[in-house]
Amino acid sequence: MAVAAAAKIAEVRETTRVERIGAHSHIRGLGLDESLEARHVSQGMVGQVSARRAVGIVLQMVREGRIAGRAVLLAGQPGTGKTAIATALAAALGHDTPFTSMAGSEIYSLEMSKTEALTQAIRKSIGVRIKEESEIIEGEVVEVQIERPATGVGTKVGKLILKTTDMETVYDLGGKMIDSILKEKVQSGDVITIDKATGKITRLGRSFARARDYDATGQQTRFVQCPEGELQKRKEVVHTVTLHEIDVINSRTHGFLALFSGDTGEIKPEVREQINGKVAEWREEGKAEIIPGVLFIDEVHMLDIECFSFLNRGLENEMAPIVIMATNRGITKIRGTNYKSPHGIPLDLLDRTIIVPTTPYDEKELREILSIRCEEEDCQMADDALTVLTRISKETSLRYGMQLIMTSSLIARKRKGHEVEVEDIKRAYQLFFDEGRSVQFLKEYQEEFMFNEMEEEEKMDVN
Amino acid sequence: MSVWFTKLLKAKKSCIIDNNLKKVHYELDNGAELVEEYDLNTNVVTRRAWRRNKELKGEQSWDVEIGDPEPTYNFEEKYMIRENSGQPFVTRRNTRINIEWRIRNLPYPIEVYSVIVDKGTNSIIVKTSNKKYYKKINIPDFDRLEIELEQENVSCSHRFNTLIITYKKPKKMIEFEKALFEEIKKIEPQNSEDLNNCKIS
Repeated sequence: MAVAAAAKIAEVRETTRVERIGAHSHIRGLGLDESLEARHVSQGMVGQVSARRAVGIVLQMVREGRIAGRAVLLAGQPGTGKTAIATALAAALGHDTPFTSMAGSEIYSLEMSKTEALTQAIRKSIGVRIKEESEIIEGEVVEVQIERPATGVGTKVGKLILKTTDMETVYDLGGKMIDSILKEKVQSGDVITIDKATGKITRLGRSFARARDYDATGQQTRFVQCPEGELQKRKEVVHTVTLHEIDVINSRTHGFLALFSGDTGEIKPEVREQINGKVAEWREEGKAEIIPGVLFIDEVHMLDIECFSFLNRGLENEMAPIVIMATNRGITKIRGTNYKSPHGIPLDLLDRTIIVPTTPYDEKELREILSIRCEEEDCQMADDALTVLTRISKETSLRYGMQLIMTSSLIARKRKGHEVEVEDIKRAYQLFFDEGRSVQFLKEYQEEFMFNEMEEEEKMDVN
Repeated sequence: MSVWFTKLLKAKKSCIIDNNLKKVHYELDNGAELVEEYDLNTNVVTRRAWRRNKELKGEQSWDVEIGDPEPTYNFEEKYMIRENSGQPFVTRRNTRINIEWRIRNLPYPIEVYSVIVDKGTNSIIVKTSNKKYYKKINIPDFDRLEIELEQENVSCSHRFNTLIITYKKPKKMIEFEKALFEEIKKIEPQNSEDLNNCKIS
């Protein structure tokens, strides 16, 4: 009995907490008010007021959608919130505007050339809103049955029973559909629509007939009528696809299933040209609308000279998105050359960008960020412990400070304490070295390590 | 004659003869494709399929209006969602004097069904009193020829888990089909021998 209960709890936890806590999962927006002024602490963002205000203006530019091919560079030391600002921008833009996030090193793939990877990234950042008649299934869920094979491997089998006030039908589910039904947490009693071609599920609400199932329901639960008539309908729907998705669907060798398998390979330039023409045609006919989005390239100094010149050219295209780049480098070699340039970016591209600097956080801001992170990681911390942690972050780095939150909270839990005390922080600080102490340790004991070559003073160089 | 008839006359047509089936391919001016299959013994359309807007998402599959749907093979495993094979499905048949629909996999007795002509949408609605099945059947031919449905032309029977709905063809439709068949007779068939003897390398 107890075992069964424990298994049940584990199962519940598995389904309710699918999202894991990432480095930037506390960010919900840019934290600006209506007049685009930055609030000091809002939506998970702290400090960096001028940079956030600048990005707020970029946000306005993207929303208006008239300006194409601008580049913005976020420059600043490590751990000053560059990626956080980009994540916040993505959150502020919402679902409908495409936001592609990539790291500079992502373009070095053996499957496709560098320029192809960049082109795909650029085309992923441009959305097309299309009005289209498509086949949808709309009904109330009677039952969801998903069976995993007993061995744990192999394909899952799924069945979905839907009804309207007039009929009832059993559907077979494909593997992708099963995943999205699990992800959307579709239960019996929900009223849903499924786009038959793309498999997109939209939850309309819960059926009125099930309103008395639970005594307590969440505030946001909406009750709707069970649909009437046929389950399958043709409806005019508006949906946003990216240019890249249209490319993939139309590149004959793969078909649209390649979108799900992820393996798209290279797409012929002729296909792209054809699609650009077609999209322009639709736009004239009023069938489609272009939504320029944002391409965010983190660690942009990892791009090499060819990519930069390609970007230079690509930005001139009127279909180009707004490109936001982030780097933590100062004056350094441009990858692929022996020339030095600010931020490792050639001057001609730098000339086209507007540069937004981020500055190191002060102690008050660090404390604010650490307390937000504590909340995000579900960790109670005593006030003086937070002060100590803030000092540590100030002296070492914010990232190290954030690492100590979880570790010290685990130490506190081990001694069955409710809160993280100064002692726990100290313990974690002794157990885990920060970068500075690690270097010092290496300097002291380098003779005992293998392959030590400290004689020739050489700085780390990723180029 | 009707607008639709002149539209078909203007379309680019080609045909082949395969045993006693005559297959006609129309290319309409809006880019849509239409394929019809005539049985040469009875001179009646046995299959008709459409392929409309292929611009949005690459090649679209054929949309079958008359006859059995295209068989799906098992290698097409990567479907998203589809109706279970045990669920009811409709096929339409054409005979010389009647239009027939067969709804298979319907196990309920005949008293359960009500088959009503809906004047508002010009369609036939099949309902079950046990709320298990509901279907609105459109008749594209009638929309194209602007014929109104009449309740007294409908009859239905139930046998072997199948509901058979019969609709007596109105005069206007019989005349149209006759005229169209006369047109089709004029198309020179391409030699189907060559097609069949095509060597697979």
